[in-house]
Amino acid sequence: MTECLTKTNKKVLTKGNYAIANAAVIAGCECYFGYPITPQSEIGEFMSGKMQELKRAYVSAESELAAINMVIGACSTGAKAMTSSSSCAVSLMQEALSYAASDQLPVVLVSVMRGGPGLGNIYPSQGDYNQATIGGGNGDYKLIVLAPATVQECVDLTYKAFYLAHKYKNPTVLLADGLLGQMMEPVEFTDYPYPEVDNSSWALTGAKGRPARVIRSYAPSADDQCEFLENLHAKYKLIEENETDWEEFNTEDADIILVSFGSPARNTKSAMKHCRKLGLKVGFLRPITLYPFPSKRIAELAQTAKKFISVEINMGQMIRDIKLAVNGKVPVELINKPVGNPPSVEEIVERIIKESEE
Amino acid sequence: MTTLTQTFKIPESIKKGSKFSFCPGCDHGVAVRLVAEVLDELGLRENTIAVASIGCSVTLYDFLEVDTIEAPHGRALAEATGVKRARPNKTVFTYQGDGDFASIGMAESLHCALRGENVTAICINNTTYGMTGGQLGPTTLLGQVTTTSPTGRNVEYYGYPIKIAEHVALCDGTAYSARVSLDTVPNIRKAKAAIKKAFEIQNKGLGFSFVEILSTCPTNWKKTPQQAHQRVREEMMPVFVPGVYKDITEKNN
Amino acid sequence: MEKNFIIAGFGGQGVLLAGEVLANAFMLDNKNVTWYPSYGAEMRGGTVNCEIVMNDSEDVSSVNKNETDFVIALNQASFDRFLPKIKKGGWMIANSTLVEKLQQRNDIHYFFAPMTKMADELGNAKMTNILSLGILAHISKLTGIETLEKALDVVIPAHRKNLLPMNIKALKIGYEYDLSPANV
Repeated sequence: MTECLTKTNKKVLTKGNYAIANAAVIAGCECYFGYPITPQSEIGEFMSGKMQELKRAYVSAESELAAINMVIGACSTGAKAMTSSSSCAVSLMQEALSYAASDQLPVVLVSVMRGGPGLGNIYPSQGDYNQATIGGGNGDYKLIVLAPATVQECVDLTYKAFYLAHKYKNPTVLLADGLLGQMMEPVEFTDYPYPEVDNSSWALTGAKGRPARVIRSYAPSADDQCEFLENLHAKYKLIEENETDWEEFNTEDADIILVSFGSPARNTKSAMKHCRKLGLKVGFLRPITLYPFPSKRIAELAQTAKKFISVEINMGQMIRDIKLAVNGKVPVELINKPVGNPPSVEEIVERIIKESEE
Repeated sequence: MTTLTQTFKIPESIKKGSKFSFCPGCDHGVAVRLVAEVLDELGLRENTIAVASIGCSVTLYDFLEVDTIEAPHGRALAEATGVKRARPNKTVFTYQGDGDFASIGMAESLHCALRGENVTAICINNTTYGMTGGQLGPTTLLGQVTTTSPTGRNVEYYGYPIKIAEHVALCDGTAYSARVSLDTVPNIRKAKAAIKKAFEIQNKGLGFSFVEILSTCPTNWKKTPQQAHQRVREEMMPVFVPGVYKDITEKNN
Repeated sequence: MEKNFIIAGFGGQGVLLAGEVLANAFMLDNKNVTWYPSYGAEMRGGTVNCEIVMNDSEDVSSVNKNETDFVIALNQASFDRFLPKIKKGGWMIANSTLVEKLQQRNDIHYFFAPMTKMADELGNAKMTNILSLGILAHISKLTGIETLEKALDVVIPAHRKNLLPMNIKALKIGYEYDLSPANV
């Protein structure tokens, strides 16, 4: 599998997991640290060979705890570094993500969601929407969260994850799911399309000809911590203004607007088209960034739409962000599958017809 | 005519104007100073990245004029691995307590040694969790009273203390493992020599180097500095025997 | 136009690989294509299967279809499991070496061929999967034998290229198999 990749500008049929790994290599990822877990193990498998071939850093870490902290160590020197994992093991990384957010380090984490809570199972899931967007670590922090819906987007958003992580010095999560990780589609590996970010003003390089730099989160003084948090959240505001990304179809005249991210967004879009053929005024909005969430746009659409429906593979997590954005103006319903493959187009259409009759 | 020579000066690697905030009589100050002297003598300061840990050792970066990242509790050697793998030409060391190294961070520590990461770890063993007020830790001696072993450490409830340097020496990736103490001037000299050796081994790219430093915690032990050093000699050394447990540069080792 | 395919059999029959070859062929034909292994209850019971969605109108295909246009069933369990999923007028292409020739539904097309036996006669029963693709290509007319040959070349890794001629032979034997019993 690995032999045909890293070549760019030619379509190849590739699994989501390999697409992510290969995109990371093209993005200039210098260090990969990881621990195996289904359904994302192909990423580590690919990296183990490719990184050694390219004389870049690779460690089979003793745990996810170690892996994410190795990423922090590498990022503290300004390096492009990443790890990848899934659900219950991403839980193990929450402490480090809180540190990385506080340290303002460009950590890249690929999270390929599986069933939960606990060990759960290896089927696709979106049960970690909250884990990624709200976070399981302590303190007031935010991770940038990007959600691909196709294998090509696994490539494009991996590039973007490295760029945004370094641009904003903020841990960034590529939030995929087991279906996307295992799915094959034709993809094109273009050159890394973003400028390289200059890390020289803060990276640890050895205190030569300048005062020593300390990357720390320990803040013994409450005043210092207040100032720090104000600045950190000013950065988040900037991210919200500049980086919120989504796509939408047929929303202008829509009575019902479907909202879905990741793999169920595919079926949701098809369902929207099907409904249009039936004469129903249905629109579709797909958040590409989950943090920052396209709340402003959803609030605007709530002026004209009569109802929103969130389509998710979980018990309803993104629906809260939609409700917050809609702010009580119109009802927000849920079409969900607790775990597994996304609700089928027919299931979604059936529910929309029911909802439109109410 | 007499010539005046300066016999005492603050190492370059110590931040100018910084004052140790450790408790009076605590050996941390001596240990930090020894690390600073070694960095000076080997000319490493400007090329070094330190990894601080959680506990009393966290304040390392307030005193050293060295680029430093602070790791979450127990993860110092994972972060050191990341730093070193990303920047193999830098000198990388951790400064940790026994709780950080050998309790919460045992997996990271031993796996770092097993991989033979070319980094140096300095571990302060004071038989207690100092910063949180003197609780039982992985090196608390049998019979030792702490705030969480009010009648003394017994095997039934707490099991046994760990001999860190010996365990580290057993790892194939370890190039150097030694235990030293700071209770007397000769022992402080030996401790410095061990720290220097550890950094030299790293610079030669020979593998993981480790120095366990027996230290005092007068505040939590409720002893004067002199009594505390006496305890190091009389109670700690019989269990945690100072010495070099592994040195791949010595032929007879 | 959108068509979807399920290829199913037991572990070791190479159904995922056959799916990958088919998906590559569609890609080489400049179609949009999505391949994914099945999850959920379908995964239990010792069968392995994958679904391929091909379309030339949508930029992104939907997945987890309720119905399918074509099923290749390489063993009995797969035949039983996926028979109800076939669309009216769709196709069940079954390996009659391992599947009973029963036709419980009369609203679909059946095609039975002793694929394992034919592959065995060719010299390797492991070619059953690729042979079945030849039959599928002939019946569906959705991709050509030349494209499938190219797809095989893409999928078979460099250190296994010695297997390519044998696989191409299996593909051809499948493609040239007499379709008259099915009244195509």
